[in-house]
Amino acid sequence: MRPLAGRRILDLSGHCAQPPHALAAAMAAKLCGLYGAQIVRPAGPLSPTGTLGRFLGEAIAGDGPFDAAIGDVTVAGAPVLLRFSVFGPGIDPPMSELGLLALSGLLGIVGESHRPPTALAGHQPAYAAGLAGCTALLAALHAGGPETVDISLFDVTCWLNWKVAAAMMVMGEVPTRGGLRADWFTLPASDGHIALVYMEKDYPQLRDMLGIDDPRFATRAGRLTHRAEFEALIRPWFAGRTRDAITREAQSRRIPIGPVRAPAELVADPQYAARGFVGAGGMPAMPFRANGVRPHG
Amino acid sequence: MAEPPLHGIRVVDLGWLTAGAATSTLLLDLGADVVKVEGPGALDPFRNWVGADPARAWWDESPWFAFTNRGKRSLCLDLKDPRGQAAMLALLATADVLVENYRRGVLDQWGLGAAELRRQFPRLVIASISSQGEDGPERDMVSFGSTLEATSGLAALTGEPDGPPIISGRDVNYPDQVVCLFASGAVVAALMERDRTGEGCHIDLSQRELTSFLIGEEFLAAAEGAPSPRPGYGPGCRVEGDMAFWPGGQAPVRDARALAEAPEFQSGTAVLRSPDGTPAKGIPFRFASRPLAVHGNCHTLGADNHAVMLQAGITAAEIAALETAGVLANRPRKGPTK
Repeated sequence: MRPLAGRRILDLSGHCAQPPHALAAAMAAKLCGLYGAQIVRPAGPLSPTGTLGRFLGEAIAGDGPFDAAIGDVTVAGAPVLLRFSVFGPGIDPPMSELGLLALSGLLGIVGESHRPPTALAGHQPAYAAGLAGCTALLAALHAGGPETVDISLFDVTCWLNWKVAAAMMVMGEVPTRGGLRADWFTLPASDGHIALVYMEKDYPQLRDMLGIDDPRFATRAGRLTHRAEFEALIRPWFAGRTRDAITREAQSRRIPIGPVRAPAELVADPQYAARGFVGAGGMPAMPFRANGVRPHG
Repeated sequence: MAEPPLHGIRVVDLGWLTAGAATSTLLLDLGADVVKVEGPGALDPFRNWVGADPARAWWDESPWFAFTNRGKRSLCLDLKDPRGQAAMLALLATADVLVENYRRGVLDQWGLGAAELRRQFPRLVIASISSQGEDGPERDMVSFGSTLEATSGLAALTGEPDGPPIISGRDVNYPDQVVCLFASGAVVAALMERDRTGEGCHIDLSQRELTSFLIGEEFLAAAEGAPSPRPGYGPGCRVEGDMAFWPGGQAPVRDARALAEAPEFQSGTAVLRSPDGTPAKGIPFRFASRPLAVHGNCHTLGADNHAVMLQAGITAAEIAALETAGVLANRPRKGPTK
């Protein structure tokens, strides 16, 4: 699939005024490149460097004309413009990705109640905005004609955190992280961690797998109310087994438990290898196949 | 005013919960017509919410379902029945896009698998959103979003440097959110490719792969032998009490109430309102010359059975027969599960 073949796109990520905007623009442009566009990417003060630069794309010189240009509010030079800002066009105060997570509620909701809030790893606010930007840019190019698309980094991060916003706006609830709300969490195995994830319908299988025989834990409300006791009861079962053994046993009962894998393991992961997801040097390919083939520019 | 970007595109939505259903919602917001298809024995699980009252029309009263699926037309058709399968094929013959996130293999059992649909409808774009993809040794591994945070590498890097790995949990379920932003783009890309080549395609999208892609630089570092520490908040960043600090700035760590009361949230597009005033999933992009908006309320289950079936070329007499047989319905066969 090369839907953007023949299109020339100017990636001004390196010339954005702020890092989140630069990373969002670079992610959108990277995807456009994988969709077949010819990317011109002038080096600038905020051009990603190191592994970030290799993942998102190194500088590429070239001249116009361009079908589209990607950057922050200063972007120009093409009939279709994709602009990233903090709160919307013209509302662009100094901001970081940590700030976006904090303001959107996505920082405060992740983690355990007795520990500080947790930031999702990497560059999730910027990359998610890049995904949204690419989708909108594709739609604008599909429709044809001049267009200016604005992506608010804050709006996208809040959009990801909709469950928290909706809990308040629809139900009047204020969800808080961890503690008595959390029945999904990681637990130590003998060789790392696993993620305990299950729905109520899965509980009988989980109960039988772990050999739980305590009426306090028969309902979700009971397990949450007595979370510390529940966790203390089940920890040894997991701690005495490997991640693979736990996953095999859980999956045989269709419980959606899985191993916590590190990137170093995943570059040689059998599932990823079978599907050709990780390329030379650990480079992740486009994360989908179209008629069996991954778009690759 | 210009038409929205996907005006004239017809989407059949077999998407459940967030990953599938919200992908179709983004296509709706970009201007497509979306028909959500559920069965009387196979409702979107979002309809069965905590607090559903068996004595009421609970399936039409779930605020979570309405939040995500506002504006879609609703077809309630039993796909386990051969007559339902035939009606579905008639509908797909008029469609441009099918979005589905069924368990792998289920649609094949009903003669609605991607290979068969590609053969019958070569111009159809089929977006299959799954945990692991269509093949590979772990294809059938059952996962929710937070399982994929673990298996993708995201959880290993998330958390305090000396603490356990952290998953986002039920209140976020991060991979289910982010996949919608990407999958909707892949569908638009496939429609553009169809414009170029005349051919539709099958999009085989693994949520686990996407989650790994979003830490792609860590894969490059790991392949070079660099360790993958949990970096916490990042260089020079910290959180003290309810404030987050980074070099040159600070922001409050908001909870749900503070978020809902924030002026920039209220003037933003993350959560909008349906025409009936209820909060609705918002639209994460703005087009200067083609303003996007939430145009429709949530339709009741099966509200559009007649219109959709007639549009698919099924006669009024055939529709009546399907209703009599219970293949077309407007209520579930069973009560809510606890």
